[in-house]
Amino acid sequence: MPEQQEISLSILKKRWLKFKTLKRGYYSFVLLVILYILSWFLPLLVNNRALVLSYEDEMYFPIISGYYAGSEFGQDVPGETIYRELQATWESENSENWVIMPIYPYSPFEDITVAGNKMYDPPSNTHWLGTDNTGRDVFARLCYAFNISISFALVLTILNYIIGVIIGGSMGYFGGRFDLFFQRIIEIWSSLPMLFVIIIISSIIRPSFFLLIFIYTIVNWIGMTYLMRAEFYREKSKDYVAAALSMGQTNFKVMFKHILPNAMVPIITFFPFAIVGGISALVSLDYLGFGMPPPTPSWGQMLDVGLQNITKAWMVFAPISALFSTLIMVVFIGEAVREAFDPKVYSRLR
Amino acid sequence: MTTYFIRRILLMIPTFLGSTILIFVILQMAPGGPLERTIQQLQAGAMQQGESVGSVGDIMSGGSSVLPESALRELRRFYGFDKPVYQRYLIWLGVWPREIKHREVKFSGDVKEVSKNVGRGTYMTLRLEGEQVGVYDKAGITSDIWKGAIDKEASKDDNVVATIFQTEFSGILTGNLGTSYTYDQPVSEVMAPRFKVSMFFGLTGLFLSYIVCIPLGIRKALNHGSAFDFLSSVVVFAAYSIPGYALGMVLLVLLGGGSFWDIFPLGGFRSPTEIWETLSLWGKIKDQLWHMVLPIIAWSISSFAGLTILMKNSLLENISQDYIRTAFAKGLQEKRVIWVHAIRNSIIPIASGIGGVIGVVIAGSYLIEKVFNIDGFGKMGFQAILDRDYPITLGFLVIVVVIRLVSNILSDIALATVDPRIRFK
Repeated sequence: MPEQQEISLSILKKRWLKFKTLKRGYYSFVLLVILYILSWFLPLLVNNRALVLSYEDEMYFPIISGYYAGSEFGQDVPGETIYRELQATWESENSENWVIMPIYPYSPFEDITVAGNKMYDPPSNTHWLGTDNTGRDVFARLCYAFNISISFALVLTILNYIIGVIIGGSMGYFGGRFDLFFQRIIEIWSSLPMLFVIIIISSIIRPSFFLLIFIYTIVNWIGMTYLMRAEFYREKSKDYVAAALSMGQTNFKVMFKHILPNAMVPIITFFPFAIVGGISALVSLDYLGFGMPPPTPSWGQMLDVGLQNITKAWMVFAPISALFSTLIMVVFIGEAVREAFDPKVYSRLR
Repeated sequence: MTTYFIRRILLMIPTFLGSTILIFVILQMAPGGPLERTIQQLQAGAMQQGESVGSVGDIMSGGSSVLPESALRELRRFYGFDKPVYQRYLIWLGVWPREIKHREVKFSGDVKEVSKNVGRGTYMTLRLEGEQVGVYDKAGITSDIWKGAIDKEASKDDNVVATIFQTEFSGILTGNLGTSYTYDQPVSEVMAPRFKVSMFFGLTGLFLSYIVCIPLGIRKALNHGSAFDFLSSVVVFAAYSIPGYALGMVLLVLLGGGSFWDIFPLGGFRSPTEIWETLSLWGKIKDQLWHMVLPIIAWSISSFAGLTILMKNSLLENISQDYIRTAFAKGLQEKRVIWVHAIRNSIIPIASGIGGVIGVVIAGSYLIEKVFNIDGFGKMGFQAILDRDYPITLGFLVIVVVIRLVSNILSDIALATVDPRIRFK
């Protein structure tokens, strides 16, 4: 079998190889992807329900099957079983029964109504980052909020991109009246202070995750539209477009099969920065109280509570460090991506 | 060139109308507006007081928890909700007559003429003329000042309810932003002091970040790839990754007397008025600076990263141009090449950014104002939305929109001024 020739590497592959050499960005990327994938399995890692439990030679899986009353396992508590205590009692009794808890056995919603939880508990071995104003575990909330923040930013960015490519692409490709009309709309849209508009809308309707994304998309599609318009406008005057059209390709095919792949550079290089924007937007909305409905774990809400209890430093530092380290990783990725895609090499003086 | 800018300025008009219509409609469609809120408050008040209703006067006649029809009508008229949305918008704009000093008149049964006191002992005669109401003064001449109209919704069969009112053109185009519901003051009076506070912060922050970022960017570009460049890049990345208000919180916890050091105050623009008045001039300056340090740092951090990188990249790009090589080739000093040839060209994108920054100065800082509890412009707008104080909300948004539109043009003018190669068409 003849060996593949080096020169036939596609441009994207070359860029990926370049990206891999930029250690700071590459490792941030790997770490962030691993963390995000892990965060989907958070119920297995950070939760107050037992993973597996064996009681009188029968196996139970509370994490899948959900609610079990405490009386079912011979625990004298009202309502749901407190598995941590169950584990402690059975271990001290050396009984046949056993419980396997998640690595971090606290849930983000478990507040002072559960026995043993205290308000404003400073960081300790049991609560790694302490507890908040209602006795909920800060670390557990931090982890769940990470998943929500990243998911929010990802869905938001992808939606914005789809709208941006369709509208911006059509504006650049068709031009004329259509372009002019949308230009005016964009001008009006971008003159509005959007965070305020979102606040007005959110104060009318209590947003859920997808409603919030919807509202934000309505407000936020402009950035990508602008980029795509310029990109399509430039590409459409090139020969390959004329060639495709002369061979009888439809406008739709020319736009999405021929031009779009050539307009990918801004899409990809802008992506990490759009994610940064999405995450910070959600945090600031949550901080103002117009984001996710409570008791959804969110960094913004934790910041708000933290600032009200300024003497309890962990409550401010925990969400800020989480926010900061996530954002800085994304920024590192963005910087590396930009460098990988940018053929310009700055020459030094002389 | 001039034609281009004139056209741009004229194009501001449709954009301005478009965005104000958008804001207006969103606000008016919102449930739980000022009218509903007032009705709720009045009803809640009536419920609490039971039979003994005194404070709200005639509006609460009867002491029941349901407002009487006439009071509702009066409220609706006060908030302007008796008109369709487009009329309300035009009135607010100031191109449709605004009806003021409403007085209600009832024609019951066959009575077609009623005399009504319009204040200061002046009586007007109202005559029902088919679908219209004529208003006549003592001499029997049609009044120029007072106009009459039938309130169709309120009228039933024989009982015709009419209102007489004066009209005037007053709206944002005539400089009247209305009266705030919550502050009970003209909107412009509520805004002026807060606007000054925000401007003060914004301009100081802007000035400081330019002073720091431009030299830093230049230094980074000249030492591209050095240890200094690397270290300052870390700082820049960190600054980019932390929102200004979050940094503000960290500073407050560390230095504002939270858990660690108690060096700076927890917030506020300056000391409370009682203390402020007693200070000497030097004391005032110290007090102001003392309050300003943390918010200014938090404020500047947002533009710090962007500006520094912009300056660095712009200078790097220029340095790799051929004209720099030419300058070196003809034997010029390195200092001269950089400071005279390269810097002048690299400053262009920074200069053109000034207009855009102004918009951010005004509206973008309310998160910081909230963290530091500064009674500024952004915080006022935010609070107005919460309170459903529509005159303030609208006034706030209009000012922000105008500032943005103007600053867009300003950046283009700045760009055209610093860079003679740029010609707009």
